[in-house]
Amino acid sequence: MPLFGELFISELLKKPVLDPKGEDLGRVRDFIVIKGDPLPRVSALILEKKKNFYRLEWEYIGIFNKRIISSRVYALKIKSYEYPEDDLLVVRDIFDKQIVDANGAKVVRVNDVKLKGINNNACLTAVDVSIRGILRRLGIERKSENLYRIFKKSLPHNLIHWNYIQPLEPKLTTISLTVPRQMVSALHPADIADIISKVSHEERVAFFEGLDPNVAAESLHELQPDVQKAIIESLHKDFATDIVERMPPDEAADLLGDLPLEKAKELLESIEKSEAQDIQELLAHEEDTAGGLMTNEFIAYSPELKIGDAIEKFKIDAHNVEIVYYIYIIDEHEKLVGVTSLRDMLLSPPSVPLSEIMETKLKTVAPDTDQQNVAEIVSKYNLLAIPVIDAGGIILGIVTIDDILNILLPPLSRKRRRKV
Amino acid sequence: MSRQRFIPNWKGLLIFLSIIGPGIITASIDNDASGITTYSVAGARYGYIFLWVLIPTTIALIVIQEMVARMGVITGKGLADLIRENYGVKITFFMMIVLLVANFGTTTAGFAGWAASMEMFGLSKYIMVPLGAFGIWLLVTRGSYRVVEIVLLVACLLYFGYIFSGFMAAPKWSKVLRSTFIPTVKWEPEFIMLTIAIIGTTITPWMQFYLQSSIAEKGIKKENYKFSKLDVIIGCLITNIIAFFIIVTCATTLFPNGIRINEAQEAALALEPFAGQHASTLFAVSLANASILGAIIVPLATAYYICEAMGWEAGVNKNFKEAPQFMWIYTALIFVSALLVLIPNVPLIDLMVLSSFLNGILLPFVLVFAIALVNNRRIMGEYINSKGYNYIAWGTVCFLITLTIILLYMVVVP
Repeated sequence: MPLFGELFISELLKKPVLDPKGEDLGRVRDFIVIKGDPLPRVSALILEKKKNFYRLEWEYIGIFNKRIISSRVYALKIKSYEYPEDDLLVVRDIFDKQIVDANGAKVVRVNDVKLKGINNNACLTAVDVSIRGILRRLGIERKSENLYRIFKKSLPHNLIHWNYIQPLEPKLTTISLTVPRQMVSALHPADIADIISKVSHEERVAFFEGLDPNVAAESLHELQPDVQKAIIESLHKDFATDIVERMPPDEAADLLGDLPLEKAKELLESIEKSEAQDIQELLAHEEDTAGGLMTNEFIAYSPELKIGDAIEKFKIDAHNVEIVYYIYIIDEHEKLVGVTSLRDMLLSPPSVPLSEIMETKLKTVAPDTDQQNVAEIVSKYNLLAIPVIDAGGIILGIVTIDDILNILLPPLSRKRRRKV
Repeated sequence: MSRQRFIPNWKGLLIFLSIIGPGIITASIDNDASGITTYSVAGARYGYIFLWVLIPTTIALIVIQEMVARMGVITGKGLADLIRENYGVKITFFMMIVLLVANFGTTTAGFAGWAASMEMFGLSKYIMVPLGAFGIWLLVTRGSYRVVEIVLLVACLLYFGYIFSGFMAAPKWSKVLRSTFIPTVKWEPEFIMLTIAIIGTTITPWMQFYLQSSIAEKGIKKENYKFSKLDVIIGCLITNIIAFFIIVTCATTLFPNGIRINEAQEAALALEPFAGQHASTLFAVSLANASILGAIIVPLATAYYICEAMGWEAGVNKNFKEAPQFMWIYTALIFVSALLVLIPNVPLIDLMVLSSFLNGILLPFVLVFAIALVNNRRIMGEYINSKGYNYIAWGTVCFLITLTIILLYMVVVP
């Protein structure tokens, strides 16, 4: 297959396809698209001849350009085609679809799709959303261009590169989301949640399946609890487990608390042991108390640890912990004896033990402290997190400032009423 | 026991009140200036004998509007969205252009009716038309969907003026009832033309787009569809009750005295000696109200339609920054139409004939697309028409298409 540069799908539709002898095989009706790396590519052409449809594999294409499309095989080698639902077709499934712009609220429709020859494949590189695309579909692009020229104007091009496009229609579910994933992952999880809040449930599930589990975990928590629940219930069990594992334990506990008992149990069983234990501990607490809010991921070292060693240890431990600004100091019975800030730790000589620099006048809350009280204490003492201790002084977890902010100011995407 | 049964009813009423609007508004505004003219003319020329036509009209209206409303609730998309997504850009583009011109004519007719009724009160159209245009522009561009809807619903109440003038005309009710339920047909061209005109002005393309878009914008949930259906049915009934009273009024007063009229405002004037000053004023106020309502809704329907087809942001709840195209289409339609009414010697009649001709061409397409879409399982899931309902729906559509073709023929070959 020779390289052919760039083409628009609409320029190819209804063009005849010729076999090596120049016989007419049929006219181009549609293109089957499959996922490719890095861009989706055309795997076959759908031809129509005398009301019958045929599938011509891409490998059999000889010449491919605006004027001539030729096949290297004869009519006998091409199979008839029945338009199965699970194929992804450019004209049927992508053309004219409404797309949610990656930038946020702005919406456009797919007017045309651009192809480019890359490594002998016809890859889908961009979606045309301009008036020009519509005029091309109507077959009057040239004429309109001339008309515009009379008024000394030019028709604008407006293409959206495939990397920025999320084909969200349910029929595309299995193929569409691998490529744009990187692009979407580059968006902030809160923006992803924003896009998700605007599409239907089926599309959401498809969207999530295409995300990196880390990003999915973060985006999920920006959504309303009932939407979170619906998505987790519809996702495949393995992927749902992946997501829950990557959520901070407190949020995972909130989510599992909302799920039906069976489903929650099933997920908990497949989650990594230590993670599941953390979540289970949290599930035991009332939702609107310090115990319900807290996370049991925090950094805690023994008072004898030298600061130099503590910093080295910190570099390893800090990866998996949400809020790392405070280093809690606990004795061998996990009893909280002090706290120090990351700054104090970094600025102190490495040879002294943590007990030298730790603050021992602690602000703490009990697990059954009401969330409003927790918020008041955190606000009064300007803390970023507050430890939760039981009657015996054992540290159970910490409540972080972002969980408190969520009580005072729910994130935008949670407040948004719109549910499809 | 009885209390338990009562509580969900109150809750149902509340939900219903939050859902009503699109159906009633769409159907009411269907009685626009040209509709009122048709009813008045029919009543004045033939007396009560047209009343029975309203019964099949009501049924046809309910059947069509119900399907469109159902699509709005189930898909959450406008009719233009669905047509573009399922039938491609060519047909959509063609419909878009035709609908734009047709609706431009209808909007102009609205302003013309507004100008005529204002002049009856001695108010100059050079003041009242710009004022009216600016007022409705402000309402939609600055108001939220809910505010616009409430204003429209209240304005719809003004249609009841026709019912009062009907009673003031003191018709012979026994005769009225007999004509309503016993069909009479006169085999003469004018009679057939008016019959078709009555049905034709009742079911128009823009209504289908407006109804579905406004239901979609309102975001009515599937489980509340039954309330939306009730909204549509009530709206269709009210519309035809209003039409009924317009015919009754003119038939009681003008027909026995042999007064022939051609315009709705003539009817209002002609009423005075027979039904009194108040009836005449009510008629004129209702006409003004109907005209200006048409001038709000028709441009709105057009803006919805074009934006949906193109994939642009649309909605009364948005502002110029969020949905620039939507707001500009609405603005341009209103101001150009208003301006046209003010220019002396513009052949408005030609524009309106063109408009009704284009609407006639468009209607079969819209109806066939609507019924094909509502039966598409990929779109509607389990909410497609049942087999029995489909017979009624297709019957109605074929009936309307036949009438439209005859009407088109009559417009072209006068």
